Amino acid sequence: MASISIPVQKRQSALLDILTTVDHKKIGLMYMVAAFVFFLFSGTLALVIRLQLAAPDMKLVDPGLYNQMFTMHGTGMIFLFTIPMLVGGFGNYMVPLQIGARDVAFPRINAFSFWLFVFAAIVMEGGFALGMAMQNPNLASNAAWTAYVPLSTRVFSPQAGMDIWLFGLILSGIASTLGAVNFVVTAYAMRAPGMTTWRIPMFTWAMIVTAVMVLLSTPVLTAALAMLTADRNFGTQFFKSSDPRLWQNMFWFYSHPAVYIMVLPGMGIISEILPVFSRKPLYGTKAIVISTILIGLLGFTTWAHHMFVSGVAPEIQRFFMFTTMVIAVPTGVKIFNWIATMWKGSLVLKTPLLMVFGFLSTFTVGGITGVIQGMIPIDTQLHNTYWVVAHFHYVLFGGSVFAIMGGFYYWIPKMLGKMLNDTLGKVQFVFMWIGFNLTFFPMHILGLEGMPRRIATYAAGRGWEIPNLIATVGAFTIATSVLIFIINCLTLLRAKPAPADPWEGNTLEWDTTSPPEEYNFKKIPVVTSDRPLWDRRHGAAVQAGH
Amino acid sequence: MNTTKLSVQSTDPRFNPRKGVAGAFVFILSETMFFLGLFFMWNFYAVVQGAWPPLSIARPSPILPIINSGVMVVSVIAIAVSSRAIAHDNRRVFVPALAVACMLGLLFAAIQIVEFSRLSFGPGSNNFGSAFFFLLFFHVARVLAGVIFMMIVLVRALIGQFSSQHRAAVTACAMYWYFIAGVWYIVFYTLYLAWPTR
Ligand code: HEM
Ligand SMILES: [Cu+2]
Repeated sequence: MASISIPVQKRQSALLDILTTVDHKKIGLMYMVAAFVFFLFSGTLALVIRLQLAAPDMKLVDPGLYNQMFTMHGTGMIFLFTIPMLVGGFGNYMVPLQIGARDVAFPRINAFSFWLFVFAAIVMEGGFALGMAMQNPNLASNAAWTAYVPLSTRVFSPQAGMDIWLFGLILSGIASTLGAVNFVVTAYAMRAPGMTTWRIPMFTWAMIVTAVMVLLSTPVLTAALAMLTADRNFGTQFFKSSDPRLWQNMFWFYSHPAVYIMVLPGMGIISEILPVFSRKPLYGTKAIVISTILIGLLGFTTWAHHMFVSGVAPEIQRFFMFTTMVIAVPTGVKIFNWIATMWKGSLVLKTPLLMVFGFLSTFTVGGITGVIQGMIPIDTQLHNTYWVVAHFHYVLFGGSVFAIMGGFYYWIPKMLGKMLNDTLGKVQFVFMWIGFNLTFFPMHILGLEGMPRRIATYAAGRGWEIPNLIATVGAFTIATSVLIFIINCLTLLRAKPAPADPWEGNTLEWDTTSPPEEYNFKKIPVVTSDRPLWDRRHGAAVQAGH
Repeated sequence: MNTTKLSVQSTDPRFNPRKGVAGAFVFILSETMFFLGLFFMWNFYAVVQGAWPPLSIARPSPILPIINSGVMVVSVIAIAVSSRAIAHDNRRVFVPALAVACMLGLLFAAIQIVEFSRLSFGPGSNNFGSAFFFLLFFHVARVLAGVIFMMIVLVRALIGQFSSQHRAAVTACAMYWYFIAGVWYIVFYTLYLAWPTR
């Protein structure tokens, strides 16, 4: 057998290493760190928002700043935290390992898209941060993450901050598109021998579908953003006097799929953790893969459910209501399969599994409220109220943050070679789950009572006081849970080293040292089933028993 | 230097030649969606505005675009010949054909710039002008990107980096150029030919 010699990395300065590395693992970790910073940043904004709304007639921030804050909170959480964390972070680190490859298909493009993302993020947040520091209200966007026209045109948002924000968003879109090209090709062309279609691990499957969705949806948003930028700066007239539904269509053609871009990788993490911690094979593997693909396809057919009150012809509305109901079916299939996986399993009640419970209990609620508000007559009432805020946090926080946390507890031993403290993890989970429900459940009630979203304050006497206060208490409970997580990460400095396979995993990332060497695998593994490591552990015993 | 020995099977996926072609294909998919977005905008206006193109706009003469369509055909043939040639290790055809394709790409862009200045309306006239210029502008931006891609491949070809066994970049470049040509014909038809008679 032929062999090549790979130079052992000469010790170079850590900084130089960070700047020049093309190793998917280092890039993945760098994505995670960057995205976590933006999580803290956007989360802090959410705390200020919640303080401002804690009681009626609060004057903590003025309405102009409030608008900037929820705009930056929303865009920060979506474009700078959830997507880069799941796709750039977990995807980068895990996909090559799970398919038995030594790197992604185009390592240099991978590094390029990371740095482009960092630059885009600095542009987006920089305008806002600079504006805060210099007390200049003109350096940030304040047109909400949806940037609807005409609000976002020069007439109503004359400030430079809008252009800075648009520029950052365009760049971050290009970065994530390039990243997606890399993932699709990696999963297509770099799989270890024997890893046939049905042996691809669930997280990698989720990443494939996610990457395809990024590829197909992001460019449409880029086109719309380019049109808006040109209108604001180069005198074009795309949105000047024309129909505002043009922007809405193009924006939601990206942004509804974006919900699945944020949730599918989370579902992939759930499908990895559950069988390992139930000590059972994943129930209905093929059904899970097919439902992932179906969600990916159907995700492109539902966007106009965001436009039920925008003046869309009734028969078109009914079509989108129908597709919105249909997409709940593959999601339901997954939830059924996950529960069936746990059924009669010998559950290992460690933190990763608790985070899975967090995911299931919250995401399911968000799925149900989604179906409810997908009905046209109900949506005409609930549109733009706090009900919607409650709904999408149940989906995005429940579906992404709990999965991300589960992914941290599950994979940090592999990525950093140290075990997180399980007891602290359980405490964190309890705070996070309770805090989450305290924050967002009352928002359903606020919405039903008619509180609009995106208002900087409200008058007393409408019955909105108590739910708002509870939500604020909840937000600080979530903050406490995040603090516990940070403390847990700090304990890593003195934690015990993790073995190669601390959880008795099934997939190939557990087949190499923790953390893996630069080349991942000394010898590229040959795959003979969808659970190569399980087979190795149990294969001999099964044969002996016969 | 200190080294680690790693075993390399012949099946090592890192040497998979499908990588480059798959990458080009997937990238082209995303480019397709970008143009679909722009065409959606065009058709949205057509549906909601009734009179589209607006009555105030006179139909631009298609002379230069027709010439450019011819330039594009020849250029596509040249790059196709070039990429077939390298598949058979025929470097005597490969390099000159690639150079021809590249020059024609430049010519196309130059003619397009003349066309910009010749039109009777501008990107700021009304939303028709904006849409018209956007489609032309983003297409010619792709043409220039394709020309740069061809130049890089050309330089690498002159250094002698390609052979029938090793030509993923040539294939990728040709694929991208076919895509650009395909988009051109749709843009051309939409902007210049598909006008209602009135
Ligand atoms: C840390 C806990 C969080 C809290 C306390 C929180 C709180 C809030 C509140 C109160 C609003 C409504 C602001 C308004 O309408 O005036 C809001 C909006 C929003 N949040 Fe969060 N949020 C949290 C986490 C997240 C996460 C994880 C995501 C997404 C991945 C997210 C995405 C959004 C988006 C997209 C908006 C809409 C912004 C807009 O209207 O433009 N949030 N959040
Ligand atoms: Cu939606």
